[in-house]
Amino acid sequence: MSLLELTAVTRTYDMGHVQVHALRGVSISINAGEFVAIVGPSGSGKSTMMGILGCLDRPTSGSYALDGTVVTALGDDSLARIRSRTIGFVFQSYNLIPRTSALDNVATPLLYQGVGRRERHARAVAALERLGLGDRLGHEPTELSGGEQQRVAIARAIVTDPAVVLADEPTGNLATHQGLEVLDLFKGLNATGRTIVLITHDPRVAAFAEREVRLLDGQVDTELAA
Amino acid sequence: MSALELVRLALSRLRTARVRAALTMLGVIIGVASVVALVSVGKGTTSQITSRLNSLGTNLLTVNATGRNGTATTLTLDDAKAIAQIDTVAAVAPEVETQAVVAVGRTTTTTSVIGTSAQYAQVRAYDVWQGTFLTDTSLEQSSRVVVLGATVADDLGLDASAVGTTVTIGGLPFEVIGILQPKGGSGFQDPDNEVLVPIATIQKYFVGSSQVRTIGVSVGNASDIEATRNAITELLRVRHGITATASDDFSIFDQAQLLDTAASISGTLTLLLAGIASISLLVGGIGIMNIMLVSVRERTREIGIRKAVGARARDILSQFLIEALTLSLLGGLVGNAIGLVASSLIGRIAGWGFIFDPTTIALATVFSLIVGVVFGVWPARQAARLDPIAALRYE
Repeated sequence: MSLLELTAVTRTYDMGHVQVHALRGVSISINAGEFVAIVGPSGSGKSTMMGILGCLDRPTSGSYALDGTVVTALGDDSLARIRSRTIGFVFQSYNLIPRTSALDNVATPLLYQGVGRRERHARAVAALERLGLGDRLGHEPTELSGGEQQRVAIARAIVTDPAVVLADEPTGNLATHQGLEVLDLFKGLNATGRTIVLITHDPRVAAFAEREVRLLDGQVDTELAA
Repeated sequence: MSALELVRLALSRLRTARVRAALTMLGVIIGVASVVALVSVGKGTTSQITSRLNSLGTNLLTVNATGRNGTATTLTLDDAKAIAQIDTVAAVAPEVETQAVVAVGRTTTTTSVIGTSAQYAQVRAYDVWQGTFLTDTSLEQSSRVVVLGATVADDLGLDASAVGTTVTIGGLPFEVIGILQPKGGSGFQDPDNEVLVPIATIQKYFVGSSQVRTIGVSVGNASDIEATRNAITELLRVRHGITATASDDFSIFDQAQLLDTAASISGTLTLLLAGIASISLLVGGIGIMNIMLVSVRERTREIGIRKAVGARARDILSQFLIEALTLSLLGGLVGNAIGLVASSLIGRIAGWGFIFDPTTIALATVFSLIVGVVFGVWPARQAARLDPIAALRYE
């Protein structure tokens, strides 16, 4: 059954006099446990679609159903709850909280789930160790390399053990071998039943996915089975 | 998220921006410290006035002659005796005053010589330190005896052993029968710089008539002061034969009332000072708001991240509000401490000691918290309302 389902979704940004049509009627369906790559040139609407899938943004029109619930109709607090419980987001620009240790960054999603301090700490340490950052717990983002920051961001996305992991160019800032490690990690998560959606413009990265969705000018171009 | 977690988050944030937090708190610190210090100064002044009020004599009314009957004043000893008959009056002391040189050997001092009665000590609240006070016998006999004020005894170099010795007043020998306890200065006039002789004596040797300049009246009960004042007015108008339309030839002065007025003025001044000090607290609050608004701007991305990983609007709201509250409360506590130190220093210098007033402390603390809420809410709401995706894109 489909876990994430977009139906005729449009997203228009109102930039003063100009209207930017980032998505022009996208309908896709992603099943639970799938590993999907979203590809397309810049400006094709990939990140906009990711924002909607991650419940960070709402479509201008059309509907989005997550696990059978139409989230487009939900209020801000319900969306926050979905982001907290169901989704793990890896941003292209890491988006770590500045002047805050790697450990606290990774523990933040648990904080908003109401998890106690000790358990938060333990789970954040486990997630960081899983990404090979066991010796970087107390480091602040500025004290970490780009690759390390990217891995902290991934640790933060998976610490809550979410059903869906959305990753926007997760390997964009990594050296090839680090990129491969991250992709292996996603593979592993996928193998344990997590649904993975990642944005990339790198065909080699897209090749890791079971399915590739190509966006062009805010519309789904062709759908290929990998 | 629990309140404890929020406080922890706020504290860790303030730790990362220590200088900024300290500067922001400075406004509140100054405000609270000045409120606490100024209120304690006000209370100190008021308590000092009250203690002086008591040292002047309990429930004291002073009747002064304002009219003249030839060369003599209109008040007489008989007036004093008549006033003593009023039910509510506890003690009456007629007073005649002159300036004279008092000497022991070659040591001299010029002071007020007051002729009065035995009840003077009660009316004016003096205590005898050595010897005795004027007695009724000495009054009747117009004896040349004197009771020395503490300052005069000091100026003449006399101590306890002086009782029974002789001093000269205006060249005439007087026997020292007593020395008074010092009352302490009350600013404009030193109440210890006087010598007391029987009123008949001063009339016989110095002023040469039965005139009385002042009659001190001690009222038995504070609540009777006004009634007594009216009774004296009526009595003296009848005794002096003043017709209904003519004005009094005497005035009645209620010193306690004057000092009550002074105390209430000082109370009003305290309020005024506290009001001015609260303005700086207000300005401190605006400082907090300013910093919090800047902080919301700077941390827009952080807010976006927090929302993206599951924070609800109310989590962000509480985070920023608690941060503002922490700033204002910490500022309030430090301000209280500084205010207390300042007021104890001022109290020591001014002589009323350390006045600890828990109400002021509590009020100043509560007020600083209110400042935190009032000026923290708006920036916090700004933060909570941010759209997550827009906040994440904010550069």
